[in-house]
Amino acid sequence: MSLCQNRLQEERKQWRRDHPFGFYARPMRNPQGVLDLKRWECGVPGKDKTLWEGGLFKLEVTFPDEYPTKPPKCKFVPPLFHPNVYPSGTVCLSILNEDEGWKPAITIKEILLGIQSLLDEPNPESPAQADAYNLFKKDRASYDRKIKHIVKENPAS
Amino acid sequence: MSEGGSPPPGKADNAPPPTEHLNIKVTDNNNEVFFKIKRTTQLKKLMDAFCERQGKRPDTVRFLFDGQRVNPSDNPESLEMQDGDTLEVHAEQIGGC
Repeated sequence: MSLCQNRLQEERKQWRRDHPFGFYARPMRNPQGVLDLKRWECGVPGKDKTLWEGGLFKLEVTFPDEYPTKPPKCKFVPPLFHPNVYPSGTVCLSILNEDEGWKPAITIKEILLGIQSLLDEPNPESPAQADAYNLFKKDRASYDRKIKHIVKENPAS
Repeated sequence: MSEGGSPPPGKADNAPPPTEHLNIKVTDNNNEVFFKIKRTTQLKKLMDAFCERQGKRPDTVRFLFDGQRVNPSDNPESLEMQDGDTLEVHAEQIGGC
């Protein structure tokens, strides 16, 4: 079996053994009902005591053939209003960038925890979408209201 | 079809399950309770036992496996659970205001 498949099977095993509360990460099934280890559906809850508390945000994580040499692509479905998320939903985060912070040892658990932290800690120095970036920079009160609204629309229940 | 076996994924519906009993962890993020149940036992039994032990009413909580809601009539086999899997217990909530 390829390195990619081996590693993904191990990741799934570790996840089932132990994962952070309120998160999920499971391989998808193809139309024939067979598990596709290279495409996972994941859920990241908003961190307690932040604006994002009470929300659950869904992602599709896609692993390239070169994984774990190359990082997976993490995409919010539907796309998320956040300064560091592209209009397509793809997450812009250093640890997911091959030329920046990605290391083959980074686990799915670490990726999802990293994305959870990113929710409440946007980096305005590296915007990926105009809408969320502009509101965050120009009108923080409106930005906060908007986030609260998004959380209500994506409840953890 | 199950995952986690050493041969690559394939239809293994007719294969006998490797063990009769599973150890399942049930956690609400504060308390962890471990249960040993049969593959074919309805999860209602485990859900009720957890609620009883924690002094919770069953209609105030919901149980999730792999992010999906568990029905009392499900069993480990129908959910393709494996030894060592976890059920999460979350507070039930109702939207609207």
